[in-house]
Amino acid sequence: MRKHGMPEAHAAHPNVTPLIDVVMCLIIFFMLVAKIGVSTGADQKIKIPATIRGTEIKDMGNTLTLNVQPGPLNQPFITALVKDDVRELKLVDPTNGVRQLFVELSHIRNGRDGKLGTKDDNIDFKVIIRGAEDMPYSILEPVLKTCAEAQVKNVNFNTRRGGEVAGG
Amino acid sequence: MRLKGAKAVHYDSGPNMTPLVDVVMVILIFLMLAGSFVGAEHFLVSNLPFSEKGAGASAPPAGFIPDEPLDIRVDPRATGDGFVASAGQIRVDNNQDALTTQLIRMRKQLNAAGKPTNQIQVKINPGKNVKYKHLIAVYEAALRADFEKVAFATSH
Repeated sequence: MRKHGMPEAHAAHPNVTPLIDVVMCLIIFFMLVAKIGVSTGADQKIKIPATIRGTEIKDMGNTLTLNVQPGPLNQPFITALVKDDVRELKLVDPTNGVRQLFVELSHIRNGRDGKLGTKDDNIDFKVIIRGAEDMPYSILEPVLKTCAEAQVKNVNFNTRRGGEVAGG
Repeated sequence: MRLKGAKAVHYDSGPNMTPLVDVVMVILIFLMLAGSFVGAEHFLVSNLPFSEKGAGASAPPAGFIPDEPLDIRVDPRATGDGFVASAGQIRVDNNQDALTTQLIRMRKQLNAAGKPTNQIQVKINPGKNVKYKHLIAVYEAALRADFEKVAFATSH
């Protein structure tokens, strides 16, 4: 009986099938875990404080990132991604007296009706504070107060991993 | 002359995979470069971020048993950068590790006195001019001391 050896083609070219298998697996992996084109509205120019401790937030979908930094006249300058657009949310709009930050937080937290205890309440809503590390507490305080007024219970402070810790 | 070898290669080698491999490699490299995976940032989580003090505080409901309060007063250092944290008898000058050690000791004392950790309310009471990074350092010290309820209070 005649033995069939490897075809000539196999001998002439390397077998790329295992390579393609592995590469396809890698592509599927990267496509699943990579976050491409997903914006939370986080201002990367803000230098945030460093901490050793910290956790990951798995679901960034139900969050609002507030970029907080000192603005003119010692007032907080707050920006956030609202309706696919990063815009300023004033504590109080001087032109019409509207509390933009409060209105936005209440709208997300309490739903369209703006009332607590109704069906459309969003109790898992989280706020992420991305604050400039050198800003004084007088800038942050009204933001935290507004979150509390809007019944947002879950506030997370965005920090850098590791790094220097004060005096530590 | 007959090219026997070349004909046999075409017959056995199947489709040409080279363009596929090229494209797939480009996609792989793009995804590896453009993707963000374990970021350089994380979050300090708080389920009770702000606590009113004084006249602005709302009245608790009837039958409400208040948590054991533990106030940490934070002031800016007189020399400039840094913080001074004081709670009860302790006073720590710009040292997060020392503050953590002291807070662990205080927590153990409270636990020994019959107050479980989940019934202790830590309130960070900062001055208006204390820098955010120092507040975060104090906040982290409280978390490292295993306190579960940590909140910022109205500034003094």
